[in-house]
Amino acid sequence: MTIETGFEIPPWDMPSVSPDRMKTMAAILRDPYPVHWDPRVVEQIGLGKRTINQGPLGLSYMINMLHDWTGIGSIKRLRMTFPLPVFQDDHIIARGQVTEVRVEDGKTVADCDIWLDRDGEDKPLVGTATVSLDELSA
Amino acid sequence: MANPPVEEIRALVGHSFPGGTYTIAHWENFLLTDCTGAEPLPDDLAHPVALFHMPILGAGTSIGEMFGLGQADSGVSIGIESYEWKFFQPLREEQPYDITGKITEADRKEEGKRTFDRIRFQFDLHEADGSPVARSTVTWHYNRRSE
Repeated sequence: MTIETGFEIPPWDMPSVSPDRMKTMAAILRDPYPVHWDPRVVEQIGLGKRTINQGPLGLSYMINMLHDWTGIGSIKRLRMTFPLPVFQDDHIIARGQVTEVRVEDGKTVADCDIWLDRDGEDKPLVGTATVSLDELSA
Repeated sequence: MANPPVEEIRALVGHSFPGGTYTIAHWENFLLTDCTGAEPLPDDLAHPVALFHMPILGAGTSIGEMFGLGQADSGVSIGIESYEWKFFQPLREEQPYDITGKITEADRKEEGKRTFDRIRFQFDLHEADGSPVARSTVTWHYNRRSE
């Protein structure tokens, strides 16, 4: 497979963001921020009644997309911004597009725009990634 | 609660965390990977999302302490500007990593009617022989009252 600028990365689907996974994640991260596990706090700050997904979890959906495409261990760099919160029960699709293919340290890499798509209406996470294409299946 | 003096925020630049060693346990990697919706990874590989919490804990700090250093009113006053991660080699479970961390930037900013303190944390992971493994750069906004 030849990868060129403009190539659309096969999307990765999270059908429903789970509040239980947020609780497990909060424990692993030792994250005291209650919006991830107490919907009453989310309501108090006027953002509805659904808990807010951890930023790294949203980022992980894009990592899973990249793993499925270029293989585990292929990710060289990630930069992520968080314009909007992701809530429990959201249907999220990780998407991406190649912006440049080049050689770095003797290896072929792809620079990509990556983002999370919520119901085709907005992009709660937006970022960039650089991945090695050396393990990509022919 | 009044905003902290800007001098106290700027003085955070250069603050170093104690540093230390962190090993991603198999159970931890399994649960972490499950949270992402992925299947367990092969060959003792750790999910890259571990690059968020592993450096923070391994450097001898915590999310709560990082909130406190910037004198956050509460957790809800924190906003994420960006997370930047560089991987020099894949992360592995049951592999001890040496971790250092410091604050590299801290200053007060104004954007329109919004006032916030922008603080950047940098964490570096190395193997015991000094080989670089990864770098995590966390940039948070500590939202303040406009004065």
